Amino acid sequence: MKGVLSRLGAWVTGGVVGLGQTVNFGASVLRSAFVSPLRGRQIVAAIYDSGVLSLALLCASGATVGFVLGLQLYYTLSRFGAESSLGTAVGLALIRELGPVLTGLLVTGRAGSATCAEIGSMKATDQLDGLRMMAIDPIHFVVMPRALGIIIVMPLLSALFVIFGIGGAYLIGVELLGLDGGSYISGLESAVAFREDVLQSIVKSLIFGVLLALISTYRGYACAPNAVGVSRATTSTVVTTSVCILLADFVLTSLWGV
Amino acid sequence: MSAEGLSLSDQHSSHVEIEGVALRFGDRPVFSDLHCSFPRGKITVIMGPSGTGKSTLLRMIGGLQKPDQGCVRVAGQEIVGLSELELGRMRKQLGMLFQNGALLDSMSIFENVALPLREHGRQGEDEIRLHVRAGLEAVGLPDVDDLLPGELSGGMLRRAALARAIVSEPAVVLCDEPFSGLDPPNVSRIESLLRDLNRNLGLTLIVTSHHMASSLRMADQVLLLQEGHSISGSPQELAESRDSAIVDFMGEDGAEYLSHHVSVKEGH
Ligand SMILES: Nc1ncnc2c1ncn2[C@@H]1O[C@H](COP(=O)(O)OP(=O)(O)OP(=O)(O)O)[C@@H](O)[C@H]1O
Ligand SMILES: [Mg+2]
Repeated sequence: MKGVLSRLGAWVTGGVVGLGQTVNFGASVLRSAFVSPLRGRQIVAAIYDSGVLSLALLCASGATVGFVLGLQLYYTLSRFGAESSLGTAVGLALIRELGPVLTGLLVTGRAGSATCAEIGSMKATDQLDGLRMMAIDPIHFVVMPRALGIIIVMPLLSALFVIFGIGGAYLIGVELLGLDGGSYISGLESAVAFREDVLQSIVKSLIFGVLLALISTYRGYACAPNAVGVSRATTSTVVTTSVCILLADFVLTSLWGV
Repeated sequence: MSAEGLSLSDQHSSHVEIEGVALRFGDRPVFSDLHCSFPRGKITVIMGPSGTGKSTLLRMIGGLQKPDQGCVRVAGQEIVGLSELELGRMRKQLGMLFQNGALLDSMSIFENVALPLREHGRQGEDEIRLHVRAGLEAVGLPDVDDLLPGELSGGMLRRAALARAIVSEPAVVLCDEPFSGLDPPNVSRIESLLRDLNRNLGLTLIVTSHHMASSLRMADQVLLLQEGHSISGSPQELAESRDSAIVDFMGEDGAEYLSHHVSVKEGH
């Protein structure tokens, strides 16, 4: 009993300390974003790495999710004779939830793990210390551009995912199952409100971007400087970020009262 | 020539000083009460069995590793307890060659070597190009500008890293194993490069090495690290020493150095 309690205690304190360190780290990354030089070249490279290279993945996944939504919702709605609201249902589901959340999870797997592993192996091979010895702050030179890159690309990729999803569902509903194209589009148009739906979707994906940027860079930066440490940090980046994104999604959705 | 003048006037000034340093990793002590100093404008070679803390000592001088106890002074400034920002200012007078090179994987060799100049120098692009080319040629890598570090061999990598460490001509150069993995012609090339830097620019060089012959040839002072304490002296003093620990470590190379050195002296 005592052993269990003390282990629980150690686990909780460990968690709190880890959270504190992560927040602390986040603060220094944020501070470094306002230090000159701007590191424009590194930021562009980071946007390319985590954004441009994820484009194909995001488009394909978006379209696939759109196909599935089209099929599932069509059959559900047709039970109530409401097939014509397919556009509404697909649009709201994608914009409010599936777009930001699935994009967050996909980018975590694609770019978050890569970012963590890259920073971790730079640490393991003394590259970060090498920068320090040249009087270059590794947080400013390596971490900040990558974190910023992830935060910038997340809402854009999410928007792309939503567009491909809506397109995918259109293909299934209209081209395959014979719904009227006009009513699909008009249902979508009338149901989606800019402030409630689109803006909230963007804010959500921005928050997921911040979570991923923070966790993946911190885990890489703080990992044990060897191969095992890097692989542990990468795994834990994917797991922690995925759970955090799902939790944050629940909290945000309930805060906004749907 | 300037180095001669410098060495006479500053004969007793030490550029880097370590006083009463203790450090342990977990429950394994590396240093218990280490005292040593590195004279300004001289070449000090740190020797000692593998795992005695040579790399750790260099990292401590660079402020990358904090000692548990004791003082580390660089150019008279106590560096233990400085903030990362203040350490950054101090490090502008240091150049460091890491044991594994530590070049940035994502940049070409040219960009890697140019990095210290771009970050802190005020040179224009032409001047940077000139400096980097000269640095890379000095280490015997005239045509690898556009390659990535992953495309070089270990020895080439370490030489490129040496070019990066010296390109901004810092006052103190820390070199961790500059000779390991190099062929004999490159060993003598790097050896004479380091010696020229020291003579012509008066740089203070702190070099760790297992390469006994070249170490004894180039060193003004040898620092022998053994189980957390240090013995220092000129190469000749060490080679002549009867201390069993030193004799064991120096082995035949010490005797050979001595016979060569003495015969040269007699020849004069
Ligand atoms: N980060 C670390 N964590 C734990 N122990 C360490 C760490 N770095 C070094 N050590 C220990 O400190 C001791 C000194 O290591 P160091 O790398 O300085 O040796 P070295 O003299 O440079 O050896 P070599 O000649 O093989 O390069 C070793 O026993 C090593 O196990
Ligand atoms: Mg070493």
